[in-house]
Amino acid sequence: MTKGAILFAFNSPKFDYYAMAEHTAKRINHFLDLPVTIVTDESSLDSKTAYQFDNTIIIEPDRDNRRDWGVWINKGRYQAYEMSPYDETLLLDVDYMVNSNKLLTCFELYDDFCCHDTTSFAMHPKAAQEVLSGFSFNTLWATAVAFKKTDRAKQIFDALEMVQKNFAHYANIHHFISNTFRNDYALTLALRLANGHTLPKRDIIPWNLFHIGKNTTVYANNDDEFNTEYTILFDNWQRGKIRKEYITVKDMDFHVMNKENFAELIKHG
Amino acid sequence: MDINTILADAKARFSHNSAKHYLKEKYNSKLTFADQGGLWKADKETISALNAFDSEKVVIMDTFENPVEVDRKELLRKLTSIYSETMSAWVAELKELEGKR
Repeated sequence: MTKGAILFAFNSPKFDYYAMAEHTAKRINHFLDLPVTIVTDESSLDSKTAYQFDNTIIIEPDRDNRRDWGVWINKGRYQAYEMSPYDETLLLDVDYMVNSNKLLTCFELYDDFCCHDTTSFAMHPKAAQEVLSGFSFNTLWATAVAFKKTDRAKQIFDALEMVQKNFAHYANIHHFISNTFRNDYALTLALRLANGHTLPKRDIIPWNLFHIGKNTTVYANNDDEFNTEYTILFDNWQRGKIRKEYITVKDMDFHVMNKENFAELIKHG
Repeated sequence: MDINTILADAKARFSHNSAKHYLKEKYNSKLTFADQGGLWKADKETISALNAFDSEKVVIMDTFENPVEVDRKELLRKLTSIYSETMSAWVAELKELEGKR
């Protein structure tokens, strides 16, 4: 049984996702000892880099998605099932900081698919879980997914494709705004559809996805390529004043929601 | 810029509450493992439950809420080992962080 990781990276006018993917791939190689396949487009390919992905798959992505900061090419994640050359695959966002070998546990505990259903914010211990809407489900997270090549996993990715292609319809049913396509929302619906409108515990990674929120900044504690210690600095508003607070984390994976911060982080590692 | 300079310039204070929260997230995740066809959390309850039996084989619920027949001594050995190792690392890092101001 072959194991590996797959990353999707399409540069936008604002962010170099390919560079982020390269940084994450190196850390996957180092901490998880897994090969990495990248799915990208011609315009994102960085010919200057010396890093060799296990496979490079070039596609023409669907560029029809926007966020408040501009074009966000994140559609087509459902293709991971067909494009992964591995029997067992980790599908990660490129801004997921692999900082331990923890994700390898997914391969031991799942049947054929798993993702996170809960999150925890580094400097907000009491932050509520995100929901699709007040009338709908808690959000599942497409940030880190593990899957095997099985018929059931294929059904989940087929459902993901269907939800993506009918996103406005599902947004209407579940009362969320469809202007921006989100893989998290599509996965939330697709996994339930494929499971007969249930959410089996076996499909859930049994620990929280650790988020670094948007008003929080991460700094590497040193410039080592595979540094494992980071300082998280947070502006805590109390009684109209900002109090700067920090913690240090080590040997723990985290997801950086602030893309500018992640882009800055990878310059030093 | 050096991280200590950044923190000094920002007059940042170490957040003990957030640090405790981070440690809980980190070490809780290390307590979960798969063995003998089930998924287990190395916690006091599961260890106590296995200690309450004396038979070689026992059926207990795993964290997926499925009943699983297990080799009691073998699972107990793994649970105890992972629990001890994880809790020792947890308290060591907590002490290290408590020393920060």
